[in-house]
Amino acid sequence: MNVLPEISKEIDRRRFMQALSASAMAAAGSAAPSLLRADGPALPPTADTCILLWMAGGMAAPETFDPKKYVPFDIGVPAESIISTFPAIDTAVDPIKICAGLENIAQVMDRATLIRSHRVADLGHILHSRHQYHWHTGYVPPVTVAAPHLGAWMARLLGPRNPVIPPFINIGQRLEGIGESEELKAFTTAGFLGSEYGPFNIPYPQDAGRSVRPPQGMTPSRFERRNKIYREMIQKSPVGEFTSEFHQESMLRSMENAYRLLSSPEREAFDLEKEPREIYDRYNTGRFGRGCLLARRLTEAGARFIEVTTEYEPFLHWDTHENGHTTAKEMKAQIDRPIAQLILDLEQRGLLDRTLVVLASEFSRDMMIEGVPGSTAKDQSRAKSDTMQEMKQYGLHRHFTGSCSVLMFGGGMKQGFLYGETAEERPCLATKNPVNIDDMLATIYTAMGISPGAAMQIEKRPFYVTKDAKGKAVQELFA
Amino acid sequence: MASPTTGRIFLVFCLQVFAICRPTLAAEPIDFAHEVLPLLTTACAKCHSNGNYKGSFSIDTRESLLESGMVAVGKSDESELIERLTTDDSELRMPAESDSLTAEQIAIFRNWIDQGVPWEEGFSFKQSSYEAPLAPRRPEVPPVNEKYSNPIDRILQPYLQSHEVSLEGISDAMFARRAWLDLIGLTPTPAELEKFLKGARSDRRARLVQKLLERKQDYAEHWLTFWNDLLRNDYSGVGFITGGRKQITGWLYQSIYDNKPFDQFARELVSPSPESEGFINGIQWRGQVNASQVREIQFSQNLSQVFLGINMKCASCHDSFINSWKLKDAYGLAAVVANEPLELHRCDKPTGEMAVASFLYPELGELDATAPREQRLEQLAHLLTHKGNGRFTRTIVNRIWHRLMGRGLVQPVDDMDVRPWSNDLLDFLAVNLVDNQYDLKHTIELIATSKAYQSHCEIVSEELLNTKEYVFRGPRARRMTAEQLFDTIWEITDTAPAKAAAVIKNRGDQPVRAALMNSSLLMRSLGRPNREQIVTTRPAMLSTLQSLDLSNGDEFHDLLIRGGEKLLKQWNGEPELMVNHVFQSALARLPTPDELATSLAVLGDAPAAESAADLLWIVFMLPEFQMIR
Repeated sequence: MNVLPEISKEIDRRRFMQALSASAMAAAGSAAPSLLRADGPALPPTADTCILLWMAGGMAAPETFDPKKYVPFDIGVPAESIISTFPAIDTAVDPIKICAGLENIAQVMDRATLIRSHRVADLGHILHSRHQYHWHTGYVPPVTVAAPHLGAWMARLLGPRNPVIPPFINIGQRLEGIGESEELKAFTTAGFLGSEYGPFNIPYPQDAGRSVRPPQGMTPSRFERRNKIYREMIQKSPVGEFTSEFHQESMLRSMENAYRLLSSPEREAFDLEKEPREIYDRYNTGRFGRGCLLARRLTEAGARFIEVTTEYEPFLHWDTHENGHTTAKEMKAQIDRPIAQLILDLEQRGLLDRTLVVLASEFSRDMMIEGVPGSTAKDQSRAKSDTMQEMKQYGLHRHFTGSCSVLMFGGGMKQGFLYGETAEERPCLATKNPVNIDDMLATIYTAMGISPGAAMQIEKRPFYVTKDAKGKAVQELFA
Repeated sequence: MASPTTGRIFLVFCLQVFAICRPTLAAEPIDFAHEVLPLLTTACAKCHSNGNYKGSFSIDTRESLLESGMVAVGKSDESELIERLTTDDSELRMPAESDSLTAEQIAIFRNWIDQGVPWEEGFSFKQSSYEAPLAPRRPEVPPVNEKYSNPIDRILQPYLQSHEVSLEGISDAMFARRAWLDLIGLTPTPAELEKFLKGARSDRRARLVQKLLERKQDYAEHWLTFWNDLLRNDYSGVGFITGGRKQITGWLYQSIYDNKPFDQFARELVSPSPESEGFINGIQWRGQVNASQVREIQFSQNLSQVFLGINMKCASCHDSFINSWKLKDAYGLAAVVANEPLELHRCDKPTGEMAVASFLYPELGELDATAPREQRLEQLAHLLTHKGNGRFTRTIVNRIWHRLMGRGLVQPVDDMDVRPWSNDLLDFLAVNLVDNQYDLKHTIELIATSKAYQSHCEIVSEELLNTKEYVFRGPRARRMTAEQLFDTIWEITDTAPAKAAAVIKNRGDQPVRAALMNSSLLMRSLGRPNREQIVTTRPAMLSTLQSLDLSNGDEFHDLLIRGGEKLLKQWNGEPELMVNHVFQSALARLPTPDELATSLAVLGDAPAAESAADLLWIVFMLPEFQMIR
């Protein structure tokens, strides 16, 4: 894929930055936020782009990256005896084993850092979107000011890598017409940073090309003409005395930026049709797979932060309240090939070193325990049974927060590295090197060159990228 | 008790940081706001600024710093400051009360001095001594003279003179567009505009303002947006899914429609009926919640912010750093609404101390902490709207001034501890509201009929924003809200949606207004807030993502195609009249001959929905359309 020549990129970046600082100026004297501190010089970034592969709905670690003793389905098997419903398989790294169904990812484990000791907060009665909010913003809702998504922080603090590619791209999640959509929208936002830094939403990757093309039914020439006449009209406008007005200037700059993206060569990066069929097919396990392909294309074109999600929809996908084994198998079939392909493609293009790929989920799952042992959280399993009687009872149907698996590739992380341990027997709590959400986010921010203590001032007080600036990057993960 | 002074423990960076944060390399120019200021704040400010000047050394301003002789501009090697930071003599070494600075930090100071000690224009560590009063005050208003009758103008006259500002009046057409949009959220139709412009009476503007304010439904459906934002009321949003939130839509709509006196309005929110209780109930997410975010504390925060311009958010977790409110104050207010005894939590940890229900200003009267909840709320409602509570009225008149003039008398509008640029004007508007039985329409009318409102918007430049002291030079242009944008477009093209999301009894069959719709992604993109938090200021600028949605988003494109079809049907075979109609209703003026010719060329010889949509897009994207000025 073509990337703009360096020189014009620099000019465009400057113009983009001017547009941004104009909005910052508008904020002066208003209630809008200003940068408070970068908390000393951040460490040099080890990654320029971050891709978050989001396993929405609670991916069970014992069914994926943290295999435990495998108990096959059989009528009458006690539920209590079941921790994993998949056998373990070997990976490219000798001591590391993961679950069957992830054979392709197993082959690229020598490029991965696997963290098994990620512990998320126990927030009482589980609401998925609330845990997702926590993971994506570092703050537990409700929050007194609208907390920004981590992609928005990167957009705000780092800016776009390529000025015509929106710095925060969100692939695969519908935000309307599904359960908990309001709660999803609450964190899929730039919050108080302002909508300039908000997500560019692409719910359907195969339609991404359309999102950067002229509107449906409009030919490129008509689109160009419309824009040309628009500019003429502004020049001819009898209210020309306002041309020095910064509101007007900034509005025109924004319109110009939008037009540049819609007419730039980079917009081809959004178009999956441009991908050779053979490669497209390798990714095409479904919407998530196509999202991974889109993420690769956008990384090549100069994206800053991309989230690709398996999509959260209550009781679907990773949100297995029943029929967990069968669903986990389907989900793995969706993610296994495209993720491995994404890593190999990035590597082959020389991009993996500077691209941090993170696979994570809001929590894990367990057959018996809701939350953590002793939690008051309400049990929401829909297939309760003391012994296995039918297939739909077989699987991990309760939300478990005591240990989760997170996978990282590239972006300065170690390769073929395992971090943290969990108990072999229930409760499978993290027993070594626990990493909480603050530290997990601090690790990602640090890799991207953002200090975990960076803060914006809003309503006269500091608001930090990690909660109360307390996040500490896990140094052992860095190569 | 705590008095609402601007507490001075934490050094507030009231600086205007315009720069975008980029990780800076050593060779790059030093960045005062991001590199130097944090160091000065943590290492020096406590002993050498804002009234404390140990060793007679003041870093309040660049001037005071240079006067001290501690730095030699351009020569870090010769600067005593560096000497004192690096000396081995522990008696002399700074900072005296904390660890020595790191090599990197000292390098930043060196760089800063070598590069000429750059400073943020207007920034000072010295805090203003302003203390916002609680009691109302009746300023002397200069008498009516032949030039000025409106009391706002009479108060402003000496101000403008002393600041050498002369306001320039606007044309009737510009006034009409501004008043229509500000008062009822729509642009005048060509017929309405023409009728107004033909009026010969000298009081035609005042009469127009009255007439617009009498359009109760249009007024209510425009100002509903303002109140929904302020009271975080919405028809969909977080919390509804688990029953953790309740709308106040019916009550709110009716209250605006009836122009309910503002004191009664506030009392009905604080001491509510089932229809209005959603406000004090707050938003409950499922699961456990941080102690500083339980509903009772939300009540404390929201009540303080909405009605008093007080930020109680910090004080709900610990004694505030940004003002003088204490944890106890926040909990005292929370305890008024609590069903159960409420234990103080500091930073989410229980303190063992129980909250005692109280109001922030005991000088206004007693609140009986032992009374049952309903009575406590009644007492609170009474104290909040007490005649002696000038802060209550100042806060709301400032919000209205901000809406109509683009900038508050006090800015930001949620911090009433900031000094207003005109005390007299703020105090006058506040007592005037009480004199007029808390009639908010009266305040709006007073402002809209002033020469101050009816003058040209100041042309805001980068330099102007950089100057430290705001001087009133006329209203500031504002961007249309998402609701105003849709309402006008729907009206001009007759494309309003068929059904509203808000349930309003006996609404009639007038076209649906945007304030009554659920927030769409496009509306959100155009600045309609989520309303999980109180948001009183919408984004001032159009962002690139918003421009994208407007340039190629399906939702907007489809709307324009439908609009184009409707207009073509309406102006069948008369493209020139159609262009005139669009310009008049969108911009309150006819197209120039040049614009007309260009527009006709866009429509082409055989206008179709697409070409009509293109014309609409071009006009609706003009800053002249999207700005209110």
